[in-house]
Amino acid sequence: MMNEGDPILIIDDEIQIRRLLEITLASNGYKTIFAADGRGGLTAAATQHPSLILLDLGLPDIDGINLLVKLREWYVRPVIILSVRNSEDDIIAALDKGANDYLTKPFRSGELLARIRSAIRLTTDKSENTLLEFGSLAIDLTNHVVRKNDEIVKLTATEFSLLTLLARNQGRVLTHQFLLKEVWGYSYLEQTQYLRVFIAALRKKIEDDPAKPELLITESGIGYRFGS
Amino acid sequence: MQDKVNYSPLKQYLTVISVISLTALVCSPLANQQGYHIVSFVLLFTISIMAVFLSIGPILLASSLSALLWNFFFIPPYFALHIEKTEDKLMFVSFFIIAMINGALTIRIRRQESLARDREERTNTIFELTRELSNANGIDEILDVACDDLKKYFNARSVFFIRERKNTPEIFERRLEEERLSEVNFEIARWVNRNSTVAGRFTEFYEDTTLTYYPLSGKSVNPGVVAIEFEKAMNDDLKAFWNGYLTQISNALEREHLGELALKARLLGESDKLYKTLFTSISHEFRIPIATIMGASDTLLLANSSDPDRDELLKEISIASTRLNHLVENLLNMSRLESGKISAKPDWCDLNDLINRVSKLLENELEQFKLEIVIPADFPLVRLDFGLMEQVFYNLFLNSSQYTAPGSIINMEACYNDGNLIITVKDNGPGFPVDVIDNAFNKFFKVDTKKAGGLGLGLSIVKGFTEAHNGRVKLENTIPSGAMFTITIPTEIADINLIKSDDE
Repeated sequence: MMNEGDPILIIDDEIQIRRLLEITLASNGYKTIFAADGRGGLTAAATQHPSLILLDLGLPDIDGINLLVKLREWYVRPVIILSVRNSEDDIIAALDKGANDYLTKPFRSGELLARIRSAIRLTTDKSENTLLEFGSLAIDLTNHVVRKNDEIVKLTATEFSLLTLLARNQGRVLTHQFLLKEVWGYSYLEQTQYLRVFIAALRKKIEDDPAKPELLITESGIGYRFGS
Repeated sequence: MQDKVNYSPLKQYLTVISVISLTALVCSPLANQQGYHIVSFVLLFTISIMAVFLSIGPILLASSLSALLWNFFFIPPYFALHIEKTEDKLMFVSFFIIAMINGALTIRIRRQESLARDREERTNTIFELTRELSNANGIDEILDVACDDLKKYFNARSVFFIRERKNTPEIFERRLEEERLSEVNFEIARWVNRNSTVAGRFTEFYEDTTLTYYPLSGKSVNPGVVAIEFEKAMNDDLKAFWNGYLTQISNALEREHLGELALKARLLGESDKLYKTLFTSISHEFRIPIATIMGASDTLLLANSSDPDRDELLKEISIASTRLNHLVENLLNMSRLESGKISAKPDWCDLNDLINRVSKLLENELEQFKLEIVIPADFPLVRLDFGLMEQVFYNLFLNSSQYTAPGSIINMEACYNDGNLIITVKDNGPGFPVDVIDNAFNKFFKVDTKKAGGLGLGLSIVKGFTEAHNGRVKLENTIPSGAMFTITIPTEIADINLIKSDDE
């Protein structure tokens, strides 16, 4: 669980939230450092090599989104937004500007820890694993074969690329636009109906109960996340 | 027409008689010395001068009197009307001709002068009216001023019909002098406003009425109609003046209307600013403490403890914070609705996905209920705002779970019919008391105010968010018992099989 000893940087001006995060993260084995404003956050990110940044958008000196853009000029490790702003536009904007994930306050501690784990795993796990396994689901990337309970699931080419794109980014929200661009191409950016139909089709094939999806999770108005 | 000379006609005739007689008398010694012709010149001169001041009648009398006097007393044979010399005869006739020419010229000059004076007066009147109108504040004052002016300058009673709002055909009588108006008056006024055409008495349309109706037309809006009671049809000159005045009234009303719009826009801007400040600070100030409570209880729960009481209490704190969060969300949603901040951004939606997500969010609350979802296989995609509709169903399901006994059935069915998505959510609970069913969507409405459970905002959010989709929601009781909500939203659809076939 410990990640090379690099701490998690929390940029948030609310002392209560900072205390809550410190204890929650510490009890799960993470070291933490803090910054109460954007300027301090930038300095800390540059000097202390954080393994991950938890960023609040409503900072006293600089808007969180602008700070994110500045950080993303050189900081390559995960940034998770933790904000009271819960409009779809804000969330999509943050994800577009390079945030790895977005959690709205109030949040569940378990959820936050899961997001942190998957964000760190996605950036540190550089092994070119060609076999992805998620419980009873196995995706063989080299042979383009998907198995559910050891039985081969027939997928169309589009379904397969959509599934692998989501599975490779397990735990991370991928926006509608991103998925459409990656799987269908630029001319399909507005054609969300394709996404809806193919996600529904995939759910029928790979979920235990398509009505209670656990692998392909809808983030309303934003996109989809592969369950972790 | 007003004459400059203020003497009465009788006075004028008397003046003429006395002046001419006096002149003749004064001239008689002159005639003895210089010859009688000199008298005719003096008399002619006198007539010409009098013609400047007097009307044509007295001048003609003056000419006749001069000719007679001259003939009778000065031309030989004296004291007889006989004229011997041709030159005297000519002179006699020329009295009349010169008098008439003089008179006619003078009259023409005087008429033109009077016309110019009239015009000046009207210009002054228009100027005065414009000044009064521009000083008037508010539609009522403008109409007051206009009514008084119409009385003063046109000596006519008038009624104004004004459109209260820009985009409605409704027209309201705003300045009525005495008797009540009948529906016919309104009908004509509406017609005039719609067609921007003059109607009523002395016109081609609706001529069998006592009033004449003129449209008030501004540059951007047609604010209304004025009906006025004229005694006789207007001449062209007056018509031009009248039209000028109408334009002034229209402009004043339009100015007022635009002023109101500007004021509204400013107020809207201010309320917008206030709303934003309030919204940001409330959402921040409420959510941070809730986040702290929720996160803290969660973290404590995650750390396994051996004390079941402690865990039980922590769970209660966690549930309470979730509930508090839901209340804050609903309050914020309500304030977004109230301030007109909600606009649906429809996107293609898989209804199954939407409902599944809501039932997942309400997993705990619906644990003891039987949720039946009936969505036909191959149901098309519909265009909805996923986030808003999530709130709609969240609140509907939550409402059913709160007002029915555990174990009740909550049933949701969807169909698409004639361009509309129709969704019913019904339960087999007690239903709504008949006397309050119409109020169920009012904010802060609760069936039983003493019973705990929410602020009574859920259903008004359901209504508001549905209406943001141009849809409507209906509530009725079912037989034998239960409540049924029917949501109807106009939407496009996309055939999922068609999209699938794109791939295979």
